[in-house]
Amino acid sequence: MNALYRSVAALSLIGLVAACAAPTVPTAAPQTVRETVVVTQIVQGTPETIVITATPEPAPAGSDTVVIRVGTGDGGEGLSPHQQIIQNYEDAHPDIIAQLEPVAGRDYYARLLTQLAAKAAPDIMQIGDDAVPSFVEKGAFLPLDECLQEGGFDPSVYLPGLLTPGQVDGQQYLLPKDYSPLGVYYNKKIFDAAGVAYPEADWTWEDLLATAQQLTRDADGDGTPEVWGIQLPATWTTGFEYWVAAAGGSLISEDGTSFVGYMDSPETIRAVQFYADLYNTHKVAPPPADLNAFGGGNSEFDNGQAAMRLFGIWPQSGMLKNPNIDLGVVNPPAGTARANILFWGGFGISSTTQNLKAACDFLAYYTGEPAAEVWKDWALPAVTSVAESSGQTTDPIKGVWIGELNHIVPRAYTYTPYWNETADPALRTALETVLLDPTADVAAVMATAAQEAQRALDAAR
Amino acid sequence: MSDADPAHERYLLFPRGWALLIRYALLTIVALLFVVPLIWMFASSLKPEYQIFASPPVWWPSPPRWENYVEALTQLPFARFAANTLIIAVGSIVGHLLSCTIVAYGFARLRAPGKGYLFVVLLSTLMLPYPVTMVPLFIIFSRIGWINTFAPLIIPAFFGNAFYIFLLRQAFKQIPLELEDAARLDGATTLDVLRYVILPLSLPALAAVAIFSFQSSWNDFLGPLIFLQDQSRYTLMLGLSFFRGTTQINWAYLMAASLVTVIPVVVVYFVAQRLFIEGIAFTGLKQ
Amino acid sequence: MASLSGMRRREAVAFYLTISPWLIGLILFTAGPMLISLYVSFTDWDLLTAPTWVGLENYARLLDDPRLWQSLKVTVVYTAAYVPLELAGGLSLALLARPRLRGIGIFRTLYYLPSVLSGVAFVVVWLWLLNPRGGLFNLMLAQAGIPGPRWLLDPQWALPSLVLMSVWGWGRTMVIYLAGLQNIPAELHEAAAIDGADAWARLRTITLPLLTPTIFFNLILSLISTFQTFTSAFVATDGGPLDSTLFFVLYIYRQAFQFLNMGYASALAWLLFAIILALTLIIFRSQDFWVYYGGERAE
Repeated sequence: MNALYRSVAALSLIGLVAACAAPTVPTAAPQTVRETVVVTQIVQGTPETIVITATPEPAPAGSDTVVIRVGTGDGGEGLSPHQQIIQNYEDAHPDIIAQLEPVAGRDYYARLLTQLAAKAAPDIMQIGDDAVPSFVEKGAFLPLDECLQEGGFDPSVYLPGLLTPGQVDGQQYLLPKDYSPLGVYYNKKIFDAAGVAYPEADWTWEDLLATAQQLTRDADGDGTPEVWGIQLPATWTTGFEYWVAAAGGSLISEDGTSFVGYMDSPETIRAVQFYADLYNTHKVAPPPADLNAFGGGNSEFDNGQAAMRLFGIWPQSGMLKNPNIDLGVVNPPAGTARANILFWGGFGISSTTQNLKAACDFLAYYTGEPAAEVWKDWALPAVTSVAESSGQTTDPIKGVWIGELNHIVPRAYTYTPYWNETADPALRTALETVLLDPTADVAAVMATAAQEAQRALDAAR
Repeated sequence: MSDADPAHERYLLFPRGWALLIRYALLTIVALLFVVPLIWMFASSLKPEYQIFASPPVWWPSPPRWENYVEALTQLPFARFAANTLIIAVGSIVGHLLSCTIVAYGFARLRAPGKGYLFVVLLSTLMLPYPVTMVPLFIIFSRIGWINTFAPLIIPAFFGNAFYIFLLRQAFKQIPLELEDAARLDGATTLDVLRYVILPLSLPALAAVAIFSFQSSWNDFLGPLIFLQDQSRYTLMLGLSFFRGTTQINWAYLMAASLVTVIPVVVVYFVAQRLFIEGIAFTGLKQ
Repeated sequence: MASLSGMRRREAVAFYLTISPWLIGLILFTAGPMLISLYVSFTDWDLLTAPTWVGLENYARLLDDPRLWQSLKVTVVYTAAYVPLELAGGLSLALLARPRLRGIGIFRTLYYLPSVLSGVAFVVVWLWLLNPRGGLFNLMLAQAGIPGPRWLLDPQWALPSLVLMSVWGWGRTMVIYLAGLQNIPAELHEAAAIDGADAWARLRTITLPLLTPTIFFNLILSLISTFQTFTSAFVATDGGPLDSTLFFVLYIYRQAFQFLNMGYASALAWLLFAIILALTLIIFRSQDFWVYYGGERAE
């Protein structure tokens, strides 16, 4: 028993020491020690060296070193450009430390909101365009006019349309980090094998259907094609706005008060019908594999079993390395109109920041030209000069994406701050219904969706 | 037959002959069922990314990509994450064992007015879902300045935990009163009773608490998510979450890293569960 | 109870002393957030601006919310199906793996291992296993000539699929049962065997009755935690398809962090609290009828 007693005593001592030692309330630390860990990151075959800087303690207030906290929702490999830009910035500004606080995935917003509720948010926050209206209207971000003026920062350096998602009522609150319109990937190998011509920029929905039908092949007649025409993103609601826009419709009235008459309009119904038919009637699109995964969780295109794929730019780097795919990209086809939608992420300054000047300076750097040189290798660059000088505007693949910036229509969330709780659930249910049940009456389903969204909207407003 | 078994165990609970064979067969069948998902995880962790959801499925990649493990674990400072998690886990186990034992004894043995209500209150602390308590909790810890430290993850353990208190209370209540009464007649104080009577006889339950406490700290995601801000303080679960970006999920790396992070918990369990084998089956009190 | 006798008073003092760590912790860490969330449930709060008092409006809204009733139904059905399953299944595993056979440690570890794997990675494995076209389950069913269901993609099958997935988490309950089984003195079995009782009879008359404290524990804990299922639904289905797996806590999370209705989310949470509390109290009342404590002293 004594041994037990002693060991418990020892363990509790260790435990208490651990508990006390670990929370380091900064006292008078004259110099903040920065640890630099050099890591060779191998992106499945391509060695790249990145430097991860870890700051073990925040600098005490009142010293010369300023710590700027940067919140981001990126994860995995997407953190490397952040680290690199931060490293470059810190080298140029030795009195500033930028502490990256990444949270990957949906949990990012849960944490960000918790921090905002406690008024303990990072100085610089990254959010997606659909969150901009609600966050800005609730005062989470500072307007950037002063900041931009003092820093002499010229917002016209960006490609067309990239400033708008960060604006509310004409005021700029966020600057662009990255963006993606929709595009159609296609696998040249499959096209060549089937002897079908590659899609052209001026193609239409009818062309899409015809091409997909030519490419869908079920050689052994077992009901499951070996090659599908096009992989579609299942019940992805915000992505669906493209179809509605290209059909000439809109999901909500411009004044943001009415879904009825828009979500169930003939144009919208036509879009939903066409989409559902691709799945159920013409069977050129593989059924969704995972309704919860972003984009339906399908892997046919990656496996070389689908000829085309409609999506954003996000999986492109993986596709370029995929031996099953010889990649080409084309803009989404026109319905009655040529349209596209933009997904966007940007950085802004928190309204509770204590380090306005440093944050301002950092923000301009993070979204400006020097940083764009780093971003361009990971995503599409936002700065025109960088895009052009790196040849990306004329690149056969990247140029397509950048070119689409000329065809963007405003997203539905810009008309109402209540998108998330009104249209999104209703649209998702509607899409699930028509995709899972081939016999569903699309017009009726959309009418129900419009009413459900309307009810929620009236309740929220 | 093994000489280590007490005679009565051997007689009754140790099957022989056909019974032994059947039991092993059952054990194996069930084990296979339980293990299939894990085998697939392992196989997937060795595949190149685009093969994970290949159809028809690729059972075993050839060649297996062992580099996935190195790449996954070096993309982020997992060694530091592991160290952080270990500190939190050890602190928590100690805190839980110390506090929950004492509190559970009170609930199990001592009488007092209001005790029944307090026990209900104890359990009711488990009934309010995390999403609504995490924001107020964060605000409170933010005011005390504990954000971005390990304190919110370790210190509360020294103040008990409803789950473990309840578990130990059940275990303590199963110990016959006569043992305690006998000890008290000999002049033992409450502390002595704890030390010499209760604890030795509830080693399996204590082991269970240690195992669960370790596992719970090791696997805790939500706590570190909101309380830790600086990447150098992150824990393993936060590290794993990086493989799930908003738009892309890195399946192979996620599988590889998940399997590696589970190893310590399994080791702790494997070691601790021997206490179930060697737990003292009492035949009478020997003091 | 007029005045406590000296010894009783000392015992009461001892009681409050022994539970003081928990009481202090309750006041510091637990009661605060709970009470704050109760207050929030009477407000409208979007987390970004200050809460505004709305009185009982959130609670009134509960009656009017079809998704609420759907999520309640989903949660209750799942709990009613899964809790008995887990209690019986964990016990079976514990009984199976109880004897000190050679290598039993490995078996026990294998049964426990899946319950330890962190939520996300494990759920992903199940997404593959249950993939309607390429997953293991449907492939095997196809071999047997049965067309497999669409599992997580089918509104009828999604919830049963989640129940199936949870089976692999029985290891935790097994561990607790193993600890409980350890407390049953072997001479009882000995005496019964000498009297001619076979294994089955011994199970019924000795093991189960003496295991009731453990069963009780597992029942309460399983009930409380299954009612609050969140991770598997969050990762595997996000409540779909067609809200067939919209668990209550998932709905709360959505209201709080996606719709920015923390006030309403808190009201929902307290509704859940009330339900779980009521059920727990009922089970506690029933203790006298079926739980046998070896060292029971009249409470």
